Parts: sequence; C-alpha cells; structure tokens
Amino acid sequence: MDKRNSILPDAKMKILAASVAAVVAARFCRIGGQDAGTTAIDWDKITATRLTLFYPGQSSYEWLRDAAAHKGAASETARGDSCVSCHDDAKEEQRQGAKILRGNHPLEPIALPGKPGHVDVTIQAAYDDKNAYLRYQWKGNNNIEYPYYRYDGKEWKVYGGPRLDKPVQEGKQPAIYETRMSLMLDDGKVPLFKEQGCWLTCHEGERDLNPATKEDVAADPLLKAIKKSDVRKYLPSSRNNPSDWKSGKSLDEIARIKAAGGFVDLIQWRGHRTNPVGGTDDGYVLEYRNFDSGKNHFASNLDSATKQPKFMFDAGKFGAKAVSADQVGKKDNFLIQEQQRGAVRPERGLEGGRHPAEVCPDAGGCHGVRGRQQGLRHLEGRHVDGRGRASAEPYNVGFALHDDNITTRGHYVSYTKTLGIGAKADIVAVKLP
Amino acid sequence: MSHQAKRRPLIALVAVAGFCLSAPAFAQFDAEAAENVFKENDCHKCHHATKAKKGPALKKIAAKYKEKKLDEKEAIKHMTAGQKVKLDDGKEEDHKIIDTKDVKVQTNIARWMLSH
Repeated sequence: MDKRNSILPDAKMKILAASVAAVVAARFCRIGGQDAGTTAIDWDKITATRLTLFYPGQSSYEWLRDAAAHKGAASETARGDSCVSCHDDAKEEQRQGAKILRGNHPLEPIALPGKPGHVDVTIQAAYDDKNAYLRYQWKGNNNIEYPYYRYDGKEWKVYGGPRLDKPVQEGKQPAIYETRMSLMLDDGKVPLFKEQGCWLTCHEGERDLNPATKEDVAADPLLKAIKKSDVRKYLPSSRNNPSDWKSGKSLDEIARIKAAGGFVDLIQWRGHRTNPVGGTDDGYVLEYRNFDSGKNHFASNLDSATKQPKFMFDAGKFGAKAVSADQVGKKDNFLIQEQQRGAVRPERGLEGGRHPAEVCPDAGGCHGVRGRQQGLRHLEGRHVDGRGRASAEPYNVGFALHDDNITTRGHYVSYTKTLGIGAKADIVAVKLP
Repeated sequence: MSHQAKRRPLIALVAVAGFCLSAPAFAQFDAEAAENVFKENDCHKCHHATKAKKGPALKKIAAKYKEKKLDEKEAIKHMTAGQKVKLDDGKEEDHKIIDTKDVKVQTNIARWMLSH
C-alpha cells in the first residue's frame, strides 16, 4: 500500500496556519491511481462546507435503542429512523454536546471540565479523473504526540495516555495522545448507515464503553477466529444480534457481506503515527475495525523480549537521544526509523528520559517528516477498494475528530452527511481541471 | 374644562379594558427564553413549529387549544403531568415532563407555544 504523497506548498501552508490552529488535508483514491497530488489544487477556489461535530459521550448503538435511556426515540431508532428526523435543530450539535459535557449527564460518567461540547470543522472536497481529495480545517486542543516509554531506574514504563484512561483521570499520568481526524464512508450498501451513520459501529463492549472482559473476548468464537483480543467497532450485519458483540456470524457469512460491499471505509489521519510520513490509516469496519491489506503505520517501539525500547533518537539529527519532560508537546517528537534510528542504551544515563512508544514501520512510505509547519496538519492517504470515484449517487459519510489527547469514544462526531463526487450532496467535490 | 378634554380618560379606559378582555391573545411572553427552554428539554425533537413530527406541530396545538377554548393552564398541565399521549401509529407513550417547576417559566413557554 503506497502511502507516499505530495504535500501542500509551503507558501500555502503558512497562509493557512496563520489563520487556524490546525489544518488537515485528506485524500482518498483507488489503489495504484496516479494523481497530481494536492500541490496542484488551489484550495482557495474549492467550496468550503462548515460542519459542526459534537461530543456524543456513551451514546452507543445499544443506547439509541434503549427505551429507558433514549426516551421517546428508541422504537423510532429501531425501526430505522434517521437521527436528524428528530435532531433537526440548526444548533442541535452545539446543544447536545454542551448538555452531555455539562456534568452529571448519564452519557458521560467522567468529568471533563472546560471541554467544549462541539467543534466546527471546515471541509473542502475536490476530485479528478482518478482521485478524490478532502481537506479539513478546525481549531482544537490539538496534539501530535503519542505516549512515551520512561525508564524509572528499574524498568521501562508507559508515560502518558489518553485522557479517559484511569491513570490520567487519577492524575498519575499526563494526558498524551495524538489528534486524529476520521472519515467513514459508505456507498449506500450498508443498511441504515445513511440514517444512523457512525452510531452503527459504536457498541457496548468496546473500549471505554463497558469494555468486554478478557475472558469473554477469549471465549468468543468470532474474535478467536480473527485473532483479536478486544472488541472494536463493528457493523450490525456482522452479528446475529446486533446489540450483542458475542453473537458474531461465521467467517463465511462475513466474507459474503464484505464481497457485497456491506462495509464502511474508515480513513484516519493521525497526528503522530501517520502525519510525519504523509500517510493515513486505510481501513474498514465490518466485524472489527480492520486495516486494508498492506502494511499499516502501527509499530511498537518496545522490544517484547527485552522490555526495552528498540530505538532512540539519533542525537546528531534530533539534538538529543531522548525527550525531556519540558520538551513534551513542544517539539516534533517523531521517531522515524529511516531518519532517527539510534542505538539503545537504556541501563545508564537515561533515568527520566522518554522514548516515543511508536515508530513507523519499514514501509515504503516512511520518508521522514513532511507536511507540518506552524501547527499545520496534513493528511493524505489511499484506500484500496475503489470507492471515492465519481458517482451519480452521493456517498454517505460520517466524520470524527479526536483532539484534546483523547481516544475511543472521547471524540467529536457528525450526524451522517453526504459527499458528492459528481453528485449533489451536503459536501460537493469540485471537479479539477 | 372642554367637552373634548373630558372624553379622553374615557377613551383610555375603554382601550385598557379592551386589552384586558383579549388578554389570552395578547399574553406577553419572552419568545427567545421560551424557545430555549423548549429546546433544552428536547421538546423540539417531537414538536416542530409547523410540521408534524412524532408529536403534532405547535401551530396545530395552538389551533386546537383555540378551538376548544383551552388556556395556558391546560398546556402547563400537559407538559408537567406526564400523561399518556396517543401517537399516530396508535401506540401510547408518557409525555415528557418539562424539567422546571418554575411556574413563570412554564407559563412563558405555554404562552409561546400557544402563540403559534
């Protein structure tokens, strides 16, 4: 899977960075397609659509259908009504997000004082004969770092974590996690995605949603068959009882659904693990949150045998072998193998030093830090299943933003929107010359 | 004192009386505050101003109240008692109870709803 892409010209990046805290440009296209890259796009001429994403808390697929919790709407949701058939006020996202984060709301058991209930995101879309391009802009509490490993004199331990994690909530660890911008895309083949969007994939049992026990996961035939150790996003069609993650269908049945196009693409830009090399996650959701074929950007920097980091920064290039506490959040602390690989000497002189927990794998796309300047975030990637091409019918899309050092359900989400690539839609892609 | 001058207080009195007699139609309310409470309580999910959703449109409710000569007290009772309401599909549901016991707030929202 080729993740190499061209980037926006520096001049344009500076202009954009001056007006916003974070800018992300995303692209999805069919595999192997040649493209002009985003350098050829004059984004000033591309129509911008402003969407409001809001904080949904624990409003899972099951919550939507719970008559006691989702009062007055459970039966409507179950019969397939769209979220916006009721949630249709012009300020709906602002209102719902603020209510959920106001405190003591049943959908958010964790206090997150000061966290805004919504984020405005500007989206632009363009396409040519081979590719489609998306660009996002938003202001947020953005971070491009990932948790570190820290030597405490005896052993290496994880330092930092997502804001909803217990050690962070208890003040034992700092909140450190990469910002992420995600797109789910359906070409009309996933039942109810048009009506209920991303909520189809969000279920009890997933992380931070009454997570399943290790024992239950280990005993589950489907998760055992696909060699997974937790419950992640899944579509209702992959379960015999959509509200029960343990009721997975057979691999043959799931394969038939996949072959018929009954899955959603999931394309994610990650501030730490994909941004430095100009890539994106390229995956899909069906029975699990899967990656498409090819190498992905995830690779742990901890050697499982020695329990030590595999790599440190190359001091000649980075300026130091490790990151000191006062530099967390202030530098480009990306550890990219091809650029900054160095010898690991964890036994001495490294007390208090930290090492990024993740590095890029040795995939063809790891060519160094690109697309980042003065707070500019840049996202490009490919997906492999042919979606994203011009179509007479609009795509159904859902957006999610994880900022504020958070992951799992701690995101801002959109109600389902439509993306037109040659079709009328909420977000209309402009045909490039 | 001229005859014309004597008549002025009488005209004013008649005008005030006329306003009082038509009080329900001219009941004062703070529309912005009412709409905010209405939406904070998620009433808008079922009731739109002009179109039918799960519940009837506010315009239809106002017309019904006018026809049956019901007043804001009845509207307040409806939004605070949690009584059963019949839906279009024949099912019955408990009507949501508004999350305020402040009679002034309740009265304001009732007047606003009935103004549609």
